[in-house]
Amino acid sequence: MRKKSILALVLAGALAGLSLTGCSSKGNSPDAGNDSSNTPEGKTKLKAIIVKHSLTKDVTQMKWLAEIEEKANVEIEWQQISADWDQKKSALFASGEIPDLLFNATSNSDFVQFNGLFEDLGPLIEKDAPNIQKMFSEHPELKTLATQIDGKLYGTPRYKGIWPGSTASMFINKTWLDNLGLQVPATWDELETVLLAFRDGDPNQNGDKTDEIPMDFNPIGWDFTPKLLLGSLGLPLSNGASDGYFTEGAQVKNFYVDERFKTLMQFLQKLYSQNLISKEVVTQDYSKYQSVARGNGTTAKVGFTWGWETGDRFGNELKDQYVTLPQLKQHADSTNELYWSNDYYYQNYGSNAVSVSARSKNKEAAMRFIDGFYEPVVSLQVLFGGMNDTDKGIKDNGDGTYAILPPADASLDPGSWKWTNSFADNGPMYIADALKDKVTLGSDMQNVLKEKAVYDELLNKADEKSNVYPQNFMKYSTEDTNTLAMNQANVNNITDQKWANWLTTKVDIEKEWAAYVASVNSSGLEQNLQIRQKAYDEYLSTLK
Amino acid sequence: MKPAQTTVPHQTLRGNGWLRKQAGHYQLWLMVLPAVIYIAIFCYGPMYGIQLAFREFDFSKGLTGGEWAGFKYFEQYFNSPMFWPTLRNTFIIAFFSILLGFPMPILLALVVNSIRSNRRKRILQTTVYMPYFISTVVLVALLQIMLSPTTGLIDGFLKALHLIPADTNLIGDPGAFVPVYVISAIWQACGWNSIIFIAALSSVDAQQYDAARIDGANRWQIVWHVELPAILPTIIILLIMNMGSILSVGFEKTFLMQNSLNKPVSEVISTYVFNVGVKSNQFSFGSAVGLFNTLINFTFLMLANALAKKTSKISLM
Repeated sequence: MRKKSILALVLAGALAGLSLTGCSSKGNSPDAGNDSSNTPEGKTKLKAIIVKHSLTKDVTQMKWLAEIEEKANVEIEWQQISADWDQKKSALFASGEIPDLLFNATSNSDFVQFNGLFEDLGPLIEKDAPNIQKMFSEHPELKTLATQIDGKLYGTPRYKGIWPGSTASMFINKTWLDNLGLQVPATWDELETVLLAFRDGDPNQNGDKTDEIPMDFNPIGWDFTPKLLLGSLGLPLSNGASDGYFTEGAQVKNFYVDERFKTLMQFLQKLYSQNLISKEVVTQDYSKYQSVARGNGTTAKVGFTWGWETGDRFGNELKDQYVTLPQLKQHADSTNELYWSNDYYYQNYGSNAVSVSARSKNKEAAMRFIDGFYEPVVSLQVLFGGMNDTDKGIKDNGDGTYAILPPADASLDPGSWKWTNSFADNGPMYIADALKDKVTLGSDMQNVLKEKAVYDELLNKADEKSNVYPQNFMKYSTEDTNTLAMNQANVNNITDQKWANWLTTKVDIEKEWAAYVASVNSSGLEQNLQIRQKAYDEYLSTLK
Repeated sequence: MKPAQTTVPHQTLRGNGWLRKQAGHYQLWLMVLPAVIYIAIFCYGPMYGIQLAFREFDFSKGLTGGEWAGFKYFEQYFNSPMFWPTLRNTFIIAFFSILLGFPMPILLALVVNSIRSNRRKRILQTTVYMPYFISTVVLVALLQIMLSPTTGLIDGFLKALHLIPADTNLIGDPGAFVPVYVISAIWQACGWNSIIFIAALSSVDAQQYDAARIDGANRWQIVWHVELPAILPTIIILLIMNMGSILSVGFEKTFLMQNSLNKPVSEVISTYVFNVGVKSNQFSFGSAVGLFNTLINFTFLMLANALAKKTSKISLM
């Protein structure tokens, strides 16, 4: 009898366990993320996920955001993510259980891969979003940007228009040059001479001849890298040239297999072999890259490098030692057309700022909330921080003009303050062109625009219809998306390791070049170029 | 009961006999039941997902709803330029991990076992198994700092002693990747893995030691003739189990240690599956490559098991 009851107990336990696991995998689905209940005050409850910068503080502490929620009569339950989203999202999306709103969390390929998961916002915008409609009528290209190949709009775009047309600047330490009695270099040959002098001459005058790093940069595929020197050879980069793609004469090309890239790598290899480039250039991460350039207190360590802005790159102590260098010529007698990467679209246009779950039960409320971000003055706060005494981001001058305030936390530079205090560049926004002249920017942005002015002439020269390639604007079918992704993984595998190998060893690049190009092409680059060309032609046909 | 026994044919009687015999040990079956349920739900249950490797993944139709694609994704992998490099890299890392990493815990266990003072024994054991609790992310960050070519402590030490050439970059050099990977893994897991051998050694009968000593055996002879034979079954079983995961090279550590310079040797099957399958949303392709990896592991497990059975009569099954 006793034995029997124990058996029954164990079996019952096992069954309960079974039913529980059954529950957790299925039971969630009807209501998770689509909670339609209202708060006691009659506000609509919504769930949202935001992928934010690692500096950004808890978004629920942002007063400007609470104001948008208030106005739209919604209450948002935020889930905040600041790392490894690329790795988390596949699992989340594949489960089908997504929150009502997704901020900065989706990409065009997600819409293709997870067909049916996201809501087509087109009709909702027409019905409930006057601010977004206004944005589309003033900048129809934003609608093009946001519309997918199936004619649907799964993510709202962002536009700021006040950012400069180039991401990276080239910096050289003027103090070091003066200490050594050297001129600012204008060609690759002069640059080499200068770097040699940096190496041998103790330009920071601390008595230690070995602590100077003549040249430092990010891995080639990133933003702050010598790939920008390809412009010396007449190769027009644009919009970040991600994965090496650019257009020249309306042809989509890839610089990794371009003869001019070979010339650049030969030059860099020569510099590296003379110990002019940081030994950690391939292996260091971005934070190390940043901290090295900030030197030890008042002693600079890096002579020549790339970055966004001097204050950001070298810190407040050292920034005045550096000047922006215009694009270099290869040799004094070179006749190549000079270019600088035209990143205007990359800097000012963004896609997929917000998406909505197709299963959300309160799409109207969600759209009302999203539209709140796109009111121009609100957008300004999304970017720079709130216009109130709590957020201390922007000052309203009362006469229709606004001033971006310096950081309330004196230990932060303006850039870090902006990223801490608001959604910053990751938010949904529309800074109307009419508002641009009425805003006094912060010292960092004023400095950025001033520093980057040396590139204006070259940027304006880039032909919008043949030499600028806004990859964001391209749309691909499901099949093409898959092919592109698969091929790109294989191509990157070769290109990633090859440039690093060439840079750090003494192998004869000339000899390896032909075999390398053949292997990259056969790994899928040729096919990718064809697919991209098709999409680019399509895009050009929409330009007026 | 009695009449039934006489009328039922011999064959079924034997069948009933087996069942009846098992029913006699129902307590044992009950004890194992939770484990069986657990494995059925969490290990066999999700295996229906294997279909994904043979289907076109279609999000709206779920894991099992896409069109059949046959061996398309396997062929895609076999024909891809990354097939040989990933397979080779995975093998090399796994091979050296087992070759160097497997004997170390055994040696350590023998050393620990020979220490007489219990206090010292405990201190040594605790010291060597602590690193096991460092997370991979922290470990790799430690490696990055210690091996940095400009400021690294270990790097500077090795260079000062001229053990490595002055222009070596231990975190970038493709030639250094496997040694760094394997040595750091041994440092981290050796102490922990030795626990099971220490446990096996503690069960050696004291009389065997006494007998050996009376016969005039020295320390080495005791290790060779008493201790090693005593833990041999444990060693073989663990070796077989390790063979089963020969290609499951730790994803986290490889991925974190990867950079453009060492990619020629650090792109292994698991990082490739991640780069293509997860990051680029090619789930079917990822599943196919993962399944292929599992098949190879399974083959190795069976081979090692058969070999052990034949040579030493010790085996898992």
